[in-house]
Amino acid sequence: MGSRTVLICDDAIFMRTMVGDILQQAGFEIVGEAETGVQAVERYLQLRPDLVTMDIVMPDMGGIDAVREITKQDPAARILMCSAMGQQALVVEAIQAGAKDFVVKPFQPSRVLEAVNRVLAA
Amino acid sequence: MDLAKYAELFRTESREHLAEIDTALLSLERDGDAAHIAVLFRSTHTIKGMAASMGYGAVEQLSHALETLLDAMRSGARTLDPDAVALLFDGSDALAQSVNDTVEGRGTALSPAGVALLERLASAGDSARSVSENDHIFGAPRLPQDLGTLELSDAVASVKPSIAEKTIEVRLSPDASLKGVRALMVLARIEAMGTVRSIVPAQHSWTDDAFDGTFSVAIGTSTADDAIESSIRGAGDVARVTIREATVGRSERETLRHVRIDLRRLDTLLDLVGELVITRDRLVRTADGMAENGVADRVLAGVVHDTARLVSALQEEVLRTRMVPVGQVFDRFPRLVRDVARDLGKDITFITEGREIELDRSLLDAIGDPIVHLLRNAADHGVESPDIRRRAGKHPKGRLILRAARDRAAVVIQVEDDGGGINREAVLKRAQSQGLVDADITILSDEALLKVLSRSGFSTAAAVTSISGRGVGIDVVASRVRALGGALELQSVLGRGTMFTLRLPVTLAIVRALLVRIGTETYALPAAHVIEALEYDAGAVSTLRGQETVTLRDDVIPLLRLRRRFGMDAESDEGTHLVMVEAGGHQTALQVDSLIGQQDVVVKPYDGVNGAETLFTGATILGDGTPALIVDLGGLT
Repeated sequence: MGSRTVLICDDAIFMRTMVGDILQQAGFEIVGEAETGVQAVERYLQLRPDLVTMDIVMPDMGGIDAVREITKQDPAARILMCSAMGQQALVVEAIQAGAKDFVVKPFQPSRVLEAVNRVLAA
Repeated sequence: MDLAKYAELFRTESREHLAEIDTALLSLERDGDAAHIAVLFRSTHTIKGMAASMGYGAVEQLSHALETLLDAMRSGARTLDPDAVALLFDGSDALAQSVNDTVEGRGTALSPAGVALLERLASAGDSARSVSENDHIFGAPRLPQDLGTLELSDAVASVKPSIAEKTIEVRLSPDASLKGVRALMVLARIEAMGTVRSIVPAQHSWTDDAFDGTFSVAIGTSTADDAIESSIRGAGDVARVTIREATVGRSERETLRHVRIDLRRLDTLLDLVGELVITRDRLVRTADGMAENGVADRVLAGVVHDTARLVSALQEEVLRTRMVPVGQVFDRFPRLVRDVARDLGKDITFITEGREIELDRSLLDAIGDPIVHLLRNAADHGVESPDIRRRAGKHPKGRLILRAARDRAAVVIQVEDDGGGINREAVLKRAQSQGLVDADITILSDEALLKVLSRSGFSTAAAVTSISGRGVGIDVVASRVRALGGALELQSVLGRGTMFTLRLPVTLAIVRALLVRIGTETYALPAAHVIEALEYDAGAVSTLRGQETVTLRDDVIPLLRLRRRFGMDAESDEGTHLVMVEAGGHQTALQVDSLIGQQDVVVKPYDGVNGAETLFTGATILGDGTPALIVDLGGLT
């Protein structure tokens, strides 16, 4: 079985790099990145990755709307929300929109991987 | 044999069984588990037996037809398809109707609708009979009378595991982030495994900072414990899962079985205790008076003290015998919500919380209708259709919670939906066009919103109902709750939902009151609303926008002269005291002629004069035998 593919969506290069490093070290293949919600939807449909990590706040369509768009096209999409502290209500919304799990910044590699495994196992 | 004295027993007991039938039907529809058939059969059979003894022909015929159909289902001769379940629902409705007609003296014959249904039931049962009679060739035909005592056979039970009531306690890892969200994810998994009955602590508190990640969910489920646990752990960040078989439902019912006393007896007992309480007060006052005059007797004082203590204990105990868990009334509602939701094409999860909270029997009877009103409103106008919810990014299944909780001396009952909320702007616009709200107001607070919706006439306006999606009959609910000495509150957030709160006294029967004199009459002001009493100072009165006010410690408070309010001559309008009261969320200063004192009063219902404005919630008889009216402080202002 080839390595699992990931699409990373975050408007900050810093966060994309960090999430990318954590996942790469765990053997995932980063097949794409997106900086906006619109890009996230486009890339998802194009790449059909095994996993998406999605920031909540992004310019040009936020993460929650992107989740909605993606799950509309592919109800089986596996999306992991990346949230900051204090975004409880937004995370609830994202889960209701179809995201499978969430992690809270600042990221601890072990927690991110636990969540990723849960999402992939579901 | 005089059957009349059994009629009351028939009424209460058959209602219990009808409620059980409703619950079992709802469960049957949800999970298709054949185990519910046995419950349905037993209850139907019991009703049939009672009706036959009473000579209630229609009830007997209907329950017999239902029983035949149920028997066919139980033996597998009739399949358990949606049509069959729908027929059972219709049958149970007709049975309930027939029981009602009969006990309320509208005749014991079957109504035309009942006859039609009877035929449907009979043909459904008969078409199955040809098969089930084949079975009888191999054994003696079973007598219907024996069937009631038959438990569900092992064969049927093994086809599908039966539903068990369980309480699942979940503790999230202490270091889990966003515990509220994680808890919701766990709940979603639990909901997928059965029917959630209640959630503790209430789900809306999960997003509070204080939520520590421990919660428990009562559920009816056929999933095995280990499967439940592994599913819950799959949600992540779960430290511990404890699953227990719940026995609350059964023990609750057993307790109720003991309370089979004619209500009128309890009422009489309460009246007597009420008078005893008043007499105790007089006795204590007399003894105190003697002590002040130096003619006290030590032995007598001791006896007075003991008597007073015993009367208090007796009062408390009698009040307790009248307390009933709200679950008794709540049980009616799942069916109601289901029917409303189905009629409207909505998908609603209905959850009750705090079923064990107790209320005085008379209060419980009186709040049924207001709750029905609020639930209907919430299901009809609050919760959106699945399509609209999906478009709004919500779960297509709406959520309706009926909650009871103790709040200090009061009981609160809340009806909460996660629907579209009330459109304040539309309500404000309409209220302004009708001159109910000043034109310069730009936003309605929750309190002001409720006030507008509670205006009779306003709330029934069709245009508002269609725009705001709410408002039918809120005036009726508000006045009913006020008549019970309670208060109605409202919170609503557009797009997120609405919550109505009924705040009720635990008991109606005896209240602490401040007695005041106005003219030649004595009036009672419920002490729960009284903040303080002070001497009237004409110098502190001024007039603001046509409204008389008093200034008290820098606060400007509306003044209400009760003499004028009660339509007495205003010329001798010289009250000596002001009573500050709080009702309906704000303070008012009431001018009264003089203060008499505080005491417990026994509330008697007050019918008022037909068509007249109700200023009073009840009446009471004072120790010296004179009557006094109890003022409706919420309705005054």
